[in-house]
Amino acid sequence: MTTVPVPWAEALGATLPPLVVEAERVAATVMQGVHGRRRPGQGDAFWQFRPYLPGDAAARVDWRQSARSDRLFVRETEWEAAQTVALWRQDGPGMEWRSDRMFPTKRTRAELLLLALAALLCRGGERVRLFGLPRAFAGRGAVAALAEALPRQAPQAEDGRIPRHARAVLFGDFLAPLEETRRVVAELAGRAVRGHLMQVLDPAEETLPFTGRVRFEGLDGPDHALVPRVEGVRALYGERLARHRAGLAALAAAAGWSFATHRTDHPPEAALLALHRRLAPG
Amino acid sequence: MWQIGPLAFAAPWLLLALPALPLLWWLLRVSPPAPRRQAFPAIRLLRDLPPTEETPHRTPWWLLLLRLAAAALVILGLARPVWQPAAGGGGGGPLLVVVDDGWAAAPDWPARIAAAAAAIEAAGREGRRVALLSTAPPETGEPLAATGLMPAEEARARLAALRPRPWPPDRAAALAALAAFRAAHPGEFASLYVADGLEHAAAGDAFTPLAAALAAAGPLTLARAGGRPVRVLPPPRAEADRLALRVLQTPSPAPTEARVLARTADGRAVAAATLAFPEGAREATAVLDLPIEIRNQVVRLDLEPEAGAAGVVLLDERFRRRPVGLAAAVETSADAPLTGDLFYLQRALEPYAEIRRGGLEALLARRLAVLILADREVPEGREREALTRWVEEGGMLIRFAGPRLAERPDPLLPVALRAGERALGGALSWERPQTLAPFPEGSPFAGLSPPAEVTVERQVLAEPSPRLAERSWARLADGTPLVTQAPRGRGRIVLFHVTANAEWSDLPLSGLFVDMLRRLVALSAGVQGGESEAPLGPLELLDGFGRLGPATPAAAPLPANRVEETAASPRHPPGWYGTPGQAEEAAWRRALNLSAHLPPPRPAAPPPPAARLVEIGGVPAERDLGPWLLALALVLLAADLLVSLVQRGLLAPQGARRAGRAALILLALAMPARAEEPEGAAALATRLAYVVTGDFQVDETSRLGLLGLSDFVNRRTAAALAEPHGVVPGRDDLAFYPLLYWPVLDTAPPPDAAAAAALNAFMRHGGIILLDTRDEGSGEGMNPGARAALRRLTRDLAIPPLAPVPEDHVLKRAFYLLQDLPGRYAGGQVWVARDQDRANDSVSPVIIGGHDWAAAWAIDARGQNPYATIPGGARQRVLAYRFGVNLVMYALTGNYKGDQVHVPAILERLGN
Repeated sequence: MTTVPVPWAEALGATLPPLVVEAERVAATVMQGVHGRRRPGQGDAFWQFRPYLPGDAAARVDWRQSARSDRLFVRETEWEAAQTVALWRQDGPGMEWRSDRMFPTKRTRAELLLLALAALLCRGGERVRLFGLPRAFAGRGAVAALAEALPRQAPQAEDGRIPRHARAVLFGDFLAPLEETRRVVAELAGRAVRGHLMQVLDPAEETLPFTGRVRFEGLDGPDHALVPRVEGVRALYGERLARHRAGLAALAAAAGWSFATHRTDHPPEAALLALHRRLAPG
Repeated sequence: MWQIGPLAFAAPWLLLALPALPLLWWLLRVSPPAPRRQAFPAIRLLRDLPPTEETPHRTPWWLLLLRLAAAALVILGLARPVWQPAAGGGGGGPLLVVVDDGWAAAPDWPARIAAAAAAIEAAGREGRRVALLSTAPPETGEPLAATGLMPAEEARARLAALRPRPWPPDRAAALAALAAFRAAHPGEFASLYVADGLEHAAAGDAFTPLAAALAAAGPLTLARAGGRPVRVLPPPRAEADRLALRVLQTPSPAPTEARVLARTADGRAVAAATLAFPEGAREATAVLDLPIEIRNQVVRLDLEPEAGAAGVVLLDERFRRRPVGLAAAVETSADAPLTGDLFYLQRALEPYAEIRRGGLEALLARRLAVLILADREVPEGREREALTRWVEEGGMLIRFAGPRLAERPDPLLPVALRAGERALGGALSWERPQTLAPFPEGSPFAGLSPPAEVTVERQVLAEPSPRLAERSWARLADGTPLVTQAPRGRGRIVLFHVTANAEWSDLPLSGLFVDMLRRLVALSAGVQGGESEAPLGPLELLDGFGRLGPATPAAAPLPANRVEETAASPRHPPGWYGTPGQAEEAAWRRALNLSAHLPPPRPAAPPPPAARLVEIGGVPAERDLGPWLLALALVLLAADLLVSLVQRGLLAPQGARRAGRAALILLALAMPARAEEPEGAAALATRLAYVVTGDFQVDETSRLGLLGLSDFVNRRTAAALAEPHGVVPGRDDLAFYPLLYWPVLDTAPPPDAAAAAALNAFMRHGGIILLDTRDEGSGEGMNPGARAALRRLTRDLAIPPLAPVPEDHVLKRAFYLLQDLPGRYAGGQVWVARDQDRANDSVSPVIIGGHDWAAAWAIDARGQNPYATIPGGARQRVLAYRFGVNLVMYALTGNYKGDQVHVPAILERLGN
């Protein structure tokens, strides 16, 4: 189970208009959506009248049009399909960390953003799926089902079942070596999936507010680093973090992706608005 | 001992450890503190940092300072520093501490003891031994003696046990004791004399020889209190309607004030008088003007500011309302309304005097201030002799004329009377009834205005004599005397020339009569006569501080007629004396006041020139700083521990906050919880209760009986009763019990005030008491004396009027329908409240019977009934249980079932 209450995420999403993902090419799905496919098919928008051919069902005849002439016409609508957005949030002990009880953990904040984004997408009629899960979620109740399914998502953002031309949004701290992130993004970009990286960091990870002699210990393993005087290395650390972020932004740009950062002490609405801007058309 | 200014060290060699502090500084500096541990996800970014800072991390300077300060404080504390150490008395040899512990030392006693204790402390530090000598004679009556030499610790304990004594010190005896001490310890010794600054000898100078003897033996330090005068409050003079107060003091250079508080027996201050002493005055006076009713309640006067036993005056009967004896010629008709001889006298005197009635000899057997004879002749013989003696001792005899006196005048009259009486305004006379002339100057009635409507129709006439005018206190308008008086011995005889009833004049009908009698009683010299050699034992005694306490074993009884002239002494300490059996009647106790025989306080002679003078108080006592420094060091070390924990990250600032909260909660939990367990337990369930009588057999029967009844009720009804409790009224809270079973023992003492109040409150608030005398019906004679005990027990209880349980009483139909209410015994009556008290829902607060119900209900551990029913049968047992169920229902539901009686009638009416 996720630690984020679904109503909260939905309330957060309710502050923004429904999100319809910009899609030049919609992932090849048969599901109905709002993205017109410029050919006849299932949908609401009028596409063309064509002459009745034998074999068409009598119910499909547009009698109003047919009455204007002697021929029978069949009304065809545009095939409108939904875009699929694949979502993923990073997991692991590092994501459970927080520097102060006042802030949420990074995982909590990432899940909140993920669910709020999913709520926005579902209201826009899009389909949402998680990496590592076979089916997509859509419509009412999708957010709750998504929240239910969050613990079962793949540990890595790798899933061959993601359809081509789908969109992907990845949440995490992306503090792993750049190569790992690059591999994931390249793999997805190889299948024409465009996406967005959202780096969620704790404020302490950005500012390194500690003082004195501190022995830093990693959360994943026995890794540790003894810093005799933290104040002295703070500038250097900031520099290294900036370099890491620049690397992330560069690899995202290389794959045609975008990259943004978010801090857990900042309001989640800001991050959600940024995501909305990047995903919405225009 | 090593001293710098006001600071001294008892163990100065420990200060040598102070130079080791720089070493500690160096040690602390070279060892860096342990790093704090911090989990951090972005550890990768911190790896392989270049060594940007060359200097290793050090312990911060303030932490270093904290630790050094703690170490320095430990060293200083162990060196036993003393702030402003007291002087040890100088000289060599042991220290003799002489303390004046008479009454004059009481007001500033703690300061005196502190001064002496400081000197003993200093002597202890110097390793000198100490002896103590107190100058007031001890309670035991033994001669004064100095203690042997002892270590300072022991001397301090002996000093702390000293208390000021409610009598003056005896410096001559102290001088003798000092001589004995010197004989035993011939060497030089230093001495400290904590003197009270007063000369206590009636004449001469006892202070100088003692001080000189002390100075001769070695260096003498004289500790004296300066500034405040020593005060004495002698017994007040009781005047007609007020107390005239006088306070004596040693002259004071500045004007001062004192207050006298009048207190009642329960300690309330009902009045206060302020006395102002001008500069250098030795005496001030004031009056305490009190209504007679309040004045009679005053039992002690307290001088403020506190002056010890000499500032306390206990007021006994002599200062209070005067006993007045009334006697008439014919006692039987004396009280006849409107016509009786004593009718008006009794009503006039009652509000402000204690009236005693009876035969002349019986009256004179007790102490009496005024004796009023209404037209009663005093025949020659023992009566007249006793009366004459009483008057000559100071009694005031007031006589009223009348036919008998006019017939046979006797010598106990202020003036010679003509035989017969004079009638004014009768049918055979031209004269008019006479009004009263204004009262002459010098008469006690002066100032009263005689109302015009008071007329005299008949009177006895005095033989004219040259002294008649000066002996007349009141006259008629034509100049004939109405009230004459003559002193006789120390007493006085007053004659009203009219009767004490309205037969001869209107005087007894007027308010003037009351005023005249009141002034006469006030004029009387107080309580006279009736005092014998009978010894009065000490009841309550004053201590040196003026507090009443129980009598000491050494206090001896005092003959009643010698209380006045006895001065307070160890043998007769000031306080209340009386016959212990009559202690309750306050009128019978006499007060022995310390201040009654004290001479006016005068300052002692100047001290010998060799003495070193110190003031008591003012100078702060020495202070041992060692424990405080060590405590401070501990605090610093604790702070250091906290800082270290925080530095290592073991205690986050938030964690520290949480730990603080937890400590607070722990502290709150550690507070001694109030033990309310028994009451709480009693309130958790409905249960019956029985009164614990103290007789084990009876109490056990009560318990088993109520246990059996509770069991029966639980099985047969919806009520759920827990195990019964035994209660003691007045000690246990009765509020939790609906029913109280009270077996009456023939030896039961009446309940005390608290128990009676608790039981009355229990009944008033709906509780029911079942009183069981256990001797009713077939059990008659089984418990002789229970009836009397029942009367005794219920004397203070608010028992309503009782009647036998009527046929239709709720008690007989609350659960079962019963004809009679048997217990172990059958027959007889059960009594409940007769009147239906609407306030309590018509429920009788008390049920009285004698059927020994508890024995019938009792079930022992084997589940059997240990007591056979009389006359017997299972049916009687069942009926007893059924009565018990009805009783419990009655106690639990009140008259609810009484209302059910009407159900058939209501149904019938509904049916129509």
